[in-house]
Amino acid sequence: MITSITPAGLAETLLWGVANGCIYILLATGLNLIFGVMKLVNFAHGQLLMVGAFVAYEITTFAGLNPYASILVSMGSLALIGIVIEKFAFRKVRGTEKLNEIFISLGLIYVFQNIATLLWVENYNIRIPSPLEGLNLSFGAVAIGYDRILAMVSVVVILIGLLLLTKKTKIGLAMRATSQKSDAAMLMGININRVYLYTFAVGAALAGAAGALYGILFPFNPAIGALPTIKAFAIIILGGLGSIPGAVIGGLLYGIAENTAVYMLGGIWQDAIAFALLIAVLVIRPTGLFGEKGE
Amino acid sequence: MNKRILAAVAIVIIIAAVFVAMWQLNVFSPAPSAEARNIKIGIVAGMQTVEGQDIWRAAQLAIDEINAAGGVRVDEWHTNVNFELVLVDTVDDAAGSTASPVTRAITEQGVDILIGGATTGGTLNGQIPAINNRVPFIITGASLNLVTRRGSLPSDNPLYIGDAEGMSYMFHYCTTISDYSTTVAHFLADSVKPTLDSTYSFDSARKLRLAILYRDDGYGRGVRDVTSSIIASDSLPIEVVANVSYGTTATTYQSQLISVKESKPDAVYVAGFTADTAEIIREGINDVGLKSLYIAVEICEDPQFYSLLRETGSFQILESKIATQWQGDTWYLEKVGKYVENYKAKFDGKIPGMLGADTYDAIYIAKNAIERAGTVNKEAVKNALETTDMPQSLLIMENERITFSTGTNYHEISPKTFIEQLIWIPDAGALKPYVVYPDSMPGISSFKQFDFALPTDYQPGSP
Repeated sequence: MITSITPAGLAETLLWGVANGCIYILLATGLNLIFGVMKLVNFAHGQLLMVGAFVAYEITTFAGLNPYASILVSMGSLALIGIVIEKFAFRKVRGTEKLNEIFISLGLIYVFQNIATLLWVENYNIRIPSPLEGLNLSFGAVAIGYDRILAMVSVVVILIGLLLLTKKTKIGLAMRATSQKSDAAMLMGININRVYLYTFAVGAALAGAAGALYGILFPFNPAIGALPTIKAFAIIILGGLGSIPGAVIGGLLYGIAENTAVYMLGGIWQDAIAFALLIAVLVIRPTGLFGEKGE
Repeated sequence: MNKRILAAVAIVIIIAAVFVAMWQLNVFSPAPSAEARNIKIGIVAGMQTVEGQDIWRAAQLAIDEINAAGGVRVDEWHTNVNFELVLVDTVDDAAGSTASPVTRAITEQGVDILIGGATTGGTLNGQIPAINNRVPFIITGASLNLVTRRGSLPSDNPLYIGDAEGMSYMFHYCTTISDYSTTVAHFLADSVKPTLDSTYSFDSARKLRLAILYRDDGYGRGVRDVTSSIIASDSLPIEVVANVSYGTTATTYQSQLISVKESKPDAVYVAGFTADTAEIIREGINDVGLKSLYIAVEICEDPQFYSLLRETGSFQILESKIATQWQGDTWYLEKVGKYVENYKAKFDGKIPGMLGADTYDAIYIAKNAIERAGTVNKEAVKNALETTDMPQSLLIMENERITFSTGTNYHEISPKTFIEQLIWIPDAGALKPYVVYPDSMPGISSFKQFDFALPTDYQPGSP
């Protein structure tokens, strides 16, 4: 049974699609950054989001920190975890078969998931308590929660920070150079190991921020990582591999497509329509909407 | 002469006393069989889920109680033996996660009987190795009754499994979709509709407007279909104004809730699990502004549901079969009170959930069947299970007895369910349940604690 579609209902659906898309944007941007610079496909990226959510939860509930301030702690913690993973796992197999990197990232999925299960099995499906829960901003018949508005603002601030990092700092310049031609960058004296380390740390920090926001908006548990990873991959393919603007537009499009499909056609179409959009973009423009040519 | 008689009587008495003493000391009983061993109970529980943890804890409690009380009498072995727990960890209880651990438990660990299972999808797959190996399985979750009724499907249906293939080894100690949807539909007609009519001066001919928001899986679709069927068959004054589904992987439900809101319902029946139901109610009230009456299903009778909802859940409805958080001076059933207190004492104050209670009862049902069978032979235990006739325990039964049905409703029990209204108690900082329907239950004359009341900011559907 499909209920009637009203302009107010559609407007509300679109607005919430944008809000949900923001979390996908953060996750996809981190994944895309790592892929763009390191040419590394990290299948465990969604698990970093999950860990980020739990870190923010612990900080908020036990240290009494504001949930939005916990985003920074989560980003810092995940950056450290990212450094450890890059240095002691991915770096060891760099230059060998690509399959090795893939297996490491697949293995990390289970390592993170099982550790989180051991630590937080009693806290299954929790959410980060927000003082703004239940408070809405209304525009006539259309309403949106303050938490979602703050989530969107947080994503914009983080993306501006990322933009400044990549455009205005030496390490950002090194990242861009490495992304375009790593051999040439190395010949120019860029320390590739250092660039990779920072890149992975920044990508993981973005996943940490996405996790904290996810935990404020939705209940989470140790198994939540898989689906966001798949969606993030879909978004970066939709937006174009290696393109950060592509990840932003792709994330928004994905969030809107997903929510609109559910509203207009029913819950069963949620993933089907969004992935159909992905296939359509790939057929028409195989490099994605903002595909960049790199190595 | 008298002395001789007295001497003879004394000798007879002495001999009789010696015989009695020898009898008491089991001198005439055969020695315990060399085959005597612990009986292995395979507990099917997804340890990554809250429900699985509850099942596991309840099983430990029941087995420790039974072993401490002398174990299980097995006549064939001429002795009592202990139950031994074997964890059959189905991880997340997803359909693809259950068959392998059940197979290992049967073929490698040699379990004598299986108890547990939570989700319908997981159980439908997990039961296949038990069926193939003819291992009795008391299923204590999976409310879709297909888990015992596969034999009534057409033989060309891929899910069909007949008795000849081992289906008769399956038993269902759990409420079914039909049991609880009947309670919900009648509660809406008997309590909610009259309250709405009197509060908003609705015409008595106006039907209650019900929206069903369900998981898009066998369980959710089952609730949707069975509820509509009960409303029609019982001629209840209810109109289903929306059937809206959500994917099993969904984490947010705003779009579905907007659709539900536009159907202008008086009540929303949510057929989901603990986390998704709590999130739906939270998003519906706080985000979408659908200030309706939400009805959650008994799977949500778990401490986590209460802690996820908190104040938002006040005045909302929970259909249940065991009130583990009963609010009253004395427990409605002494056994339930004892179970909850022992559970909390054993597991650091944790409040038990719903599926653990089924498992706890099922272990006592298994003990009863094995003792009557006098053996652990699987066919004999299966036959003994079929003739189970015990007093009700934690779950309330229609005739206060636990029996398994035959015929169409194959190997099922006849449980009774009830309705709780959740109330936020600010002083306790907690959401508490109070029974509002029905007035009485089998063996409990005064069961209802309060009359149902509409939520304070409730908005009815279309006039």
